[in-house]
Amino acid sequence: MGEGGGRKLPAMIILDAILQGILMGLLFALVALGLTIIFGVMDIVNFAHGEFLMIGMYAAYWTSLLLHVDPLVTLPASAVVGMLLGLASYYWLVKYLIRGPMIAQLFGTFGLMLFLRYLAQFLFGTDYRIIQKGLLVGKSLSLGPFILDWTKLSTAVLSLLAFLLVYYLLHRTKLGKALRATALNKEAAAYMGIRTDRMNAFAWMIGGGTVGIAGGLLVNFWYVYPTVGLLFLMIAFASVAMGGFGSIKGAFFAGIIIGMIEMLFPVFGHLIGWDFLGPQFKFTVVYFAYFIIVVLRPQGLFGWKR
Amino acid sequence: METLKDAFDFSDFSRIERIILVLFSIFLLVFPWLGFGSFVKTVMIYFLLFSLFGMGWNTIGGYGGQVELGKAQYVGIGAYTVALLMVWWRIPFWVSMPIGVLIAIGYSFIIGYPLFRLKGHYFAIATICTSLVLQDIFINWKLVGAAKGIELPIRDHPDFLYMQFKSDTYYFYFIMALFYAALFYMNWFRKSRLGYQLRMIKDDEEAAESLGIDARWCKIKAYSIASAFVAVGGGFLAVYNLYIDPYSVMDLDLSIKIALMAMLGGAASMWGPIIGAAFLIPLDRFLGSWLGAQKGLIGVDFMIYAAMIMAVSAYQPRGIWGIIEQFRKRGA
Amino acid sequence: MVSSTIFAAEKEIKIGVIYPLSGALATIGRDLQRAAELTADELVNNKNPNVDTLMAKWGGIPSLGGAKIKLIFADSRGEPDRGADLAKRLILDDKVVGLMGAYQSAVTKTVSAVAERYGIPMINDSSTSPDLTRRGFKWFWRTTPHDEYFDKDLFELLKGLTEGKVKGVKTVPKDQLKNLTYACENTEWGSSVAKDLERFAKEYGFNIVKGLLYSANAPDLTSEAQAVVAAKPDSMLFASYLSDSILMIRTLKGMKASPHLFWGQDAGFEMADFPRMLGADTNGVLTRTVFIAKLAKVKKVAGQINELYKKKYGDDLTGATARSVVGVQTWAYVLNRAASTDPKALQKACNEIDIPGYELVMPWDGIKFDATGQNIKGRGLIGQYQWKEGKAELEIIYPFDLASANMIYPFPGWK
Repeated sequence: MGEGGGRKLPAMIILDAILQGILMGLLFALVALGLTIIFGVMDIVNFAHGEFLMIGMYAAYWTSLLLHVDPLVTLPASAVVGMLLGLASYYWLVKYLIRGPMIAQLFGTFGLMLFLRYLAQFLFGTDYRIIQKGLLVGKSLSLGPFILDWTKLSTAVLSLLAFLLVYYLLHRTKLGKALRATALNKEAAAYMGIRTDRMNAFAWMIGGGTVGIAGGLLVNFWYVYPTVGLLFLMIAFASVAMGGFGSIKGAFFAGIIIGMIEMLFPVFGHLIGWDFLGPQFKFTVVYFAYFIIVVLRPQGLFGWKR
Repeated sequence: METLKDAFDFSDFSRIERIILVLFSIFLLVFPWLGFGSFVKTVMIYFLLFSLFGMGWNTIGGYGGQVELGKAQYVGIGAYTVALLMVWWRIPFWVSMPIGVLIAIGYSFIIGYPLFRLKGHYFAIATICTSLVLQDIFINWKLVGAAKGIELPIRDHPDFLYMQFKSDTYYFYFIMALFYAALFYMNWFRKSRLGYQLRMIKDDEEAAESLGIDARWCKIKAYSIASAFVAVGGGFLAVYNLYIDPYSVMDLDLSIKIALMAMLGGAASMWGPIIGAAFLIPLDRFLGSWLGAQKGLIGVDFMIYAAMIMAVSAYQPRGIWGIIEQFRKRGA
Repeated sequence: MVSSTIFAAEKEIKIGVIYPLSGALATIGRDLQRAAELTADELVNNKNPNVDTLMAKWGGIPSLGGAKIKLIFADSRGEPDRGADLAKRLILDDKVVGLMGAYQSAVTKTVSAVAERYGIPMINDSSTSPDLTRRGFKWFWRTTPHDEYFDKDLFELLKGLTEGKVKGVKTVPKDQLKNLTYACENTEWGSSVAKDLERFAKEYGFNIVKGLLYSANAPDLTSEAQAVVAAKPDSMLFASYLSDSILMIRTLKGMKASPHLFWGQDAGFEMADFPRMLGADTNGVLTRTVFIAKLAKVKKVAGQINELYKKKYGDDLTGATARSVVGVQTWAYVLNRAASTDPKALQKACNEIDIPGYELVMPWDGIKFDATGQNIKGRGLIGQYQWKEGKAELEIIYPFDLASANMIYPFPGWK
């Protein structure tokens, strides 16, 4: 390994990893957003969250392929599919689960996860698919010494926009405030005339919609296949735990931190010369991080719920 | 005080249940001679194995009330211990199996201590994490074969030292023996002090604590018991299939299956895990073999289980056993 | 003793075939199934005037009274324990006379263990982990060369480049090729390839500057690709399945990687989907393979059998599917030689068989198993994708005497 000839300095490698981490992290944040909203309002962990993502990915993929449109334009389709999925899940399943003990809720959404996963396998087969044609697909932007994938860049920007949109929705609109009220104290909110049932459904709708959009963005540079959801579910759990269950701000920052951990970890291993800590453990570290955080500081960074 | 006799005392079950138990036991005893094909035999073996896993899970998941989804790591510990000790030092099964159980118990205490600061969803997710972490480590750890797994060398004749047999019939009786050992243990367990303490904790943890019960310690003990059960099953898998790798014995799917079976059948009941396994194992093996090779129907078997799980969760969280009990109450 | 006439009375000879027909490798599995079925139907069981092999004139197994081979397929789903169960079922319930399969080395391990226990012959057509023939099994034979042969081929090619033996390339100074990196998927298969690469590099005097194993299901390979690029290798080596090979190339393209040589160890790199999805980006990529349609130029029978497959399914045979063909062909010859379906007779036939190269679809010297059950007359090829007139064509680069085109060197990279 000689000097010069374009070999990156450690500082450059780290900076590059941080940049890539932020890009991915914004997407992770968007994925975590839906999960944290549902939890905040209903105290339910949606185990099928990863599958919602997967379906959003397929929705974008098929829409783009069958209607011959650019993948960016298919985002509304993913959002709509996500929202409908959230609503359907609520009205046909979750509504009944909340009457039962926690174990039932856990297994109920678990069952939903398996159902959606194998439904996808049944409908679409196990082949790996990814968006092939599009305005930005396969192109990169050179910013000095850094090469950034256009699809990842646009994903990061759009994720940020989606996040801001949801934030605005929740903090500036009447509906959003009603939702937050229910999350804080559902009985009190009910006395004020806010129908808990409606708010629950609304939470699932937003949860499904946001993660659907995330899927639509993701499929531009990540393969979709029926079991892709699990990895993102775990990342979402780690983000939500770190940020604090129920906290939107938390999901945002935690998502970005996790993105950076994922990218920095292999670099770290390489730089300290201990190659055993390589890219094969980049997600293992995330799972480990969840465990540590949740044991040491259950409320996460910004958590206000339990 | 509980005594050994308690393990064999089923008198607190209804007459019908005891009769069914006896009939079922007779059926199992003569099963290999009933002329079923080899596929059915393998299904029965897996049924008994998963009943074993399910009963183990039940100690912490059912009676303990803490749903955990990371049992596969202990299956792996059991399986790898037996496999590695045999491959490295030719240690017979009867020595390596107890060692595997001890390692599983040890590991479960190490993990259990921080783990049981959590409850509910957090706990469940954390158990998934620990299992995934261990699996990832094993996939990359050359000493234990990494992703290549471990292959146990084949030994010729019926070998009781290393538990290797040509005919599935031997394996059937072996797993059946383990199954009954587990059954008697569970019978003893539910009447033991720990069993009662767990139920009290599950009902109302604060009340139990105020009575001087160390809830956390009880749960950790139950968790270790579950891990031990499951490790035994893992050891069985190693000598049955003669090949193990991190994907087949430590996978998240395995953890899910175990928990699912117990929950579907009815967690916190003696028969629940067995009923659950009776439903799901044949479904898994048979549907898999009928539908798999024909293109259009991949995944339908799982869709059916998933639908069953959702239905049971929504309407009868106490599982199939809960449904049976409901009928009995109405009838009697 | 039972005479061959009693067995010949069976008009159907059942052979169990275990492939991953669902699950992650379903696409490959189903292709393998199609190739095997085609071979049984059109090459063994019925006479075929379009193919110049002795087998094509048989119409069934001659020494067994024209009995036809019936393949019974079972889906392993890629799970070793399921494979073992299926093997038991095929042997005990379906009463097959032999087994074939199972593609994934992990599944082959358990399936062959069952065959070994029950004393039923298994011919492994498609798994390349060297361990499989190192277990001292007496009922296991493998027709395909294993990974060690293939990995060695690569180094022979590298050596050949430094000696000017490669068609169309002037002698390359060794320091232009010296530094190597590898990235292999981390299951059984990839990790043994990695081991071989390390070993041969030392033997042939090359330098591995960075080697890593990655999870085949990892949907994002940015860090891995970065690690590889950062080592500034002269040659980049890979062992990947389909989706990870495509992802790797895309990622490397995004980083404008530019090694002098880019090589993939079969599996993903070899599949029809690979050039289909990556198009011109495959230009210059080398892949180890066992069969390329271009072989028709140098071996007529290869072309004829390829035509059969192409006519029915629209694609050329690939290294994987061609090996299924050979598997079934071998079974047919073994049955014929044994003139019986008795396991011991089949075992003897396998140990003694010597199928001449001209009978096979492969460019091999033939099929002959050594004491470990490994076919010693097989060989691998190294092909290179060359983008011509809007299509990616796979040309033979190694062995040098079978080369079908000039090699593109150095690797043109992506602009």
